Amino acid sequence: MSAIAAKPGANAGAFQPVPSVIAIVLAIILVVVAYFLGSAGILAGGAMLVLQTLCLIILGAALIAFGVHFVPVGGAPAAMGQAPGIATGVAMLATGAGLAGLFGGAWAAELGLGVALASGAIGGALMMAITCLMVNISYVFGMGIPAASGKVLKDPITGDLQAAYKSQGTEGHGLPFISYVGGVIGGLFGGLGGTLIYIELLNFYNVGLPALGFVGAEGINMLAVGLAGIFAIGMFLVIAVLSAYNITGTIEGPHDPKFKRFPRAIVAAILASAVCGLVAMLVVALF
Amino acid sequence: MQEIIIGIGVTALAGALAAIAGAAEDTESNIGSQGDPNSQVQLAPQMGYTHRIYNKAVSGEPPAYTLWVTLACGVAWAFLMLGVNAILAIVFGTVLATFVQGVYATTAYLGRTASLSKFGQPVFIDVIKSVTTVTMAHAFVAIITTVTVCYLMMTVIGHPFALPLLGIVWGLALGAAGSATGNPYYGKERQYQNQKFGAGVPISASGNIVRYAEAGQRSSIDNGFFTAKFGGPASGLCFGLIVFFELWRTILFEDYLAGWGAVIAGAVIIIIFMIIDRYVEVWGRKNYGPYTVEASA
Amino acid sequence: MSVKIEASHDGIPHNKVMVIGAVISLVSLYIAILGTTLGVDYLAFFGGIAAIGALIWGNSTIKKLCSYGIGTGVPSAGMLAFGSGVIALLFASTLSGISIWIVPVAALILGLVVGLFLGWISNSVLNMKIPVMTRSLAELAAVGSLALMGLGAVATGFVGFMDIATFDFLGVTVYNASYLGAGIIAVSFMLGAIALQHPFNACLGPGEKQDRTNMLAIECGFLSMIVMAVISFAFVSLIAAWISLIVAVIGWGVSYVKYVALSKRDAASWLDAKPFSDSEE
Repeated sequence: MSAIAAKPGANAGAFQPVPSVIAIVLAIILVVVAYFLGSAGILAGGAMLVLQTLCLIILGAALIAFGVHFVPVGGAPAAMGQAPGIATGVAMLATGAGLAGLFGGAWAAELGLGVALASGAIGGALMMAITCLMVNISYVFGMGIPAASGKVLKDPITGDLQAAYKSQGTEGHGLPFISYVGGVIGGLFGGLGGTLIYIELLNFYNVGLPALGFVGAEGINMLAVGLAGIFAIGMFLVIAVLSAYNITGTIEGPHDPKFKRFPRAIVAAILASAVCGLVAMLVVALF
Repeated sequence: MQEIIIGIGVTALAGALAAIAGAAEDTESNIGSQGDPNSQVQLAPQMGYTHRIYNKAVSGEPPAYTLWVTLACGVAWAFLMLGVNAILAIVFGTVLATFVQGVYATTAYLGRTASLSKFGQPVFIDVIKSVTTVTMAHAFVAIITTVTVCYLMMTVIGHPFALPLLGIVWGLALGAAGSATGNPYYGKERQYQNQKFGAGVPISASGNIVRYAEAGQRSSIDNGFFTAKFGGPASGLCFGLIVFFELWRTILFEDYLAGWGAVIAGAVIIIIFMIIDRYVEVWGRKNYGPYTVEASA
Repeated sequence: MSVKIEASHDGIPHNKVMVIGAVISLVSLYIAILGTTLGVDYLAFFGGIAAIGALIWGNSTIKKLCSYGIGTGVPSAGMLAFGSGVIALLFASTLSGISIWIVPVAALILGLVVGLFLGWISNSVLNMKIPVMTRSLAELAAVGSLALMGLGAVATGFVGFMDIATFDFLGVTVYNASYLGAGIIAVSFMLGAIALQHPFNACLGPGEKQDRTNMLAIECGFLSMIVMAVISFAFVSLIAAWISLIVAVIGWGVSYVKYVALSKRDAASWLDAKPFSDSEE
C-alpha cells in the first residue's frame, strides 16, 4: 500500500546538513548525560559500562539503518511484475530478517559477544538468501519472467544486460543478481545491529536489576532477556520505519540511485537510538 | 549424542511444520486477497471494474501474522500457567487468534467497500459468508503450526526467549517469507490472467483484474486451488528452509570451534544458495531469451 | 498506480478528539490504579477502557498524518507508535518507585517527548517536510504508551514496574512468569499496533466517514481487550478476570453490530447472492 506523495520535491533525497549536525550534537549531549548519570550512581554499573552500552546501541542502530537500504523492495508494483524487488513493505521485510538474525544471536549470547554477533548476522543473511532465492524461483518458474532491473543498463556484478530482458510497459521485475546480493547484505547488517542492541541491553540489565532489589541470578537473567528482547524489537521497528521514510517506498538495491540517501538515515538512527537507548537504560535507574 | 539426535529430530519436525505454515499462510492471504496485490483489488472499482473479490485490507501479511501468532502464543502461555496440557493450550490460543483474524477480515472488507460507495462497488454479504470461514480455516493451520514450532524451540531446543517473543520473531518471518514468495504469483498470474504469460503487467492495464471465471462472476475462493499449485508450496518451502537451516546449523555445529562452527556452516549455506540463485537467473535468461532483440550486443 | 489516500474533512475536529481520547484514557488508568491501592483487582478492566480512549485519539492522528501521503503506508505509523511507546511506557512504569500516581501522566509526557524527537528527525533530518509530522509522531508515541499501559493493566491489574516484573507463584516470587518476564508485553504490543492502524486503513477511500471509523476504533479496542482478559486469567483473581472478559465481550458485540449497521448505511448497495452489473454491459 503506498500513497501519492503530497509534495514530490525536486531534491527530496538531498542530505540536510544543518539538521544533521544538530542531530549529532543532540546525540552527543545525550551520551554525556548518560555518562554523568552513570558516574552519579543513578544508573548502576559505573560510568564506563553506561557509556559503552549507549554507544554500542547507537552503533547497532546505525548498522540497522545502513542495512535496510540494501534490501530490494518493490512494493505493490512488484506484485504485478511491474517493478523489480520483493513485493513486501521495506520496514517489515527488513525487520523480519533482522529478527530472524536476533533469534540466532540471542541463542548464542552466552558463548561470547563475537560469536553472538556473527551468528546474528549470519541468521539474518540466511533468511534473506532463502527468501530472495524463492522469489526468483517464483518469477522464473512460476511466471516465466526473467529478472531485470530498470535502473541500470548492466548488472554491476555480473555484467548482464538488463534492458532487453525488461518486458514492455514495466520498470523491470524479479531480482537481478545485484539485488540478491543487496538483500543478503541487508539481512547481514540487520541481524548484526539487532543482536548488538540486544546483547548490550541484556548485559546492562543483568547488572542493573539486582541494584533495584531483584534477587536470584537465573531469574534475573530471564527477566533481563524478556526486557532486552522487547526493547530490541521495539527499537528495531522504529529504526526500520525511519529508514523506510528515508527510502520513500521502494528501492531496487545498492545500485539504485536512492541508495545514496543512506547517510541521512544513519544520522537519524544515531539520534533516535540515543533517545530510545537512554530511556531504555533509565528503566533500571535508582531514584 | 542423545542431545543431538533429539535436536535433529525436533529440527526436522519444526522444518516440516514450518513448511505447512508457509503454504497455509500464502493460501490464506490469497483467498482473502491481503497485502500488496490487494492494491489492485482496491483500484479496480475506481477504474470502473466492479468485482466480487474479498477486499481484506488488514495491513500487510508480516504485521498481521505477527499479531495472530504472538497472540496465540500469549494465550497458550496463559493456559499453560493454569495447568492445561500443552497441546490443548496451543489449540485454545490458536482458536482465539483465528477468531480475532476473522473479525479483522470482516471489518476490513466492510470498511473498504463501504468507502468505495462512490464508484458503485456493492457489499456482497454472500462473499463475506462464504470466504471468511475459508480464510479462517487456513489461518488456523498456519497459526497452530507456527505456535507449535515456537513452543518446541522454547521447551525442547532451549532458546532463551519467552513464547510470545518467539511468536513475534517467527510470525514476522512467516509473513515476510510468504508475502515475498507468494505475492507476485497471485498478483500477476491470477489477478492478471488475461494478460500475456511471461511478461510483467504493463502499467496501462492497472485495475483490469480478472473478475469472471468458468461459471460466471468469481469470488476469491478459487485463489485457494490456484495458490496450492505453486505459490503455496513455494512459500512453504521458503519458510520451511529458513526454520530448518536456522536450527540445523546451530544444533549440529555449535559445539565446534566454540560456536564459530555454526557461523561457518551458515556462511557456507548462504554461498550455496547464492550459487543456486545465479543458476536460476541464468537459466531464465537463456531459456526465455530477451523481449527485444539487441541491435548491438 | 495506487489508491489515493483521502479522508473526510468534516466532523469533530482532531484537537477535540485528542482531548476526549486523552481524558478517557487517563481517567480510566487512574480508576484502575485506585483499585490496586484499595487492594481489589476487579477494577482492572478500566485498563481496557483506557486503551480504547488512546486508540480513538491515535486513530484521528493517523488519519491526519496519512492524508499527507508519507510514502510508506499506514501500518508503519502504527509500528512506529508502539515501538517508541513501549520504551516510554517501561520508563514511566519505573517511576512508580517515586509514586504510583504519577505513572499515567508520566507515560503521556514521556511518550510526547520521545515522539517529538522522532518527529523532528523525520521532518528535518529525513527531509519529509510534512507540516503535521512532528506533532503527529509525538501524539502517536504518547498513544502507544497509554494504550500499552491500559492493556497491561487489564492483564495484570498493575501499572508499576515491580508489579509487572514479578509474579507470585504459590508464595514464591518468580520473574520468568511475570508480565515482562514471560513476554506478554509482546502480545499487548502487537495487539495495539494493529488495532491502532486498522480503523483508518480499513475505512480508507473517498467515502470514509468519521463516525464509522471511530466505531471501528472502539471495536478494535474491545477486541484487544478480549484477548488480554483471557490472558489475565493467569495473573489476576478469577472474579476480576471474568468481569474483564464479560465487559470486553459485551463491548465488542455492541460496537461490532453498530459498525456493521454504519457500513450498511454507507455502502453503495448491500447485496446477498446477487451478481454485479458491469457499466459496460
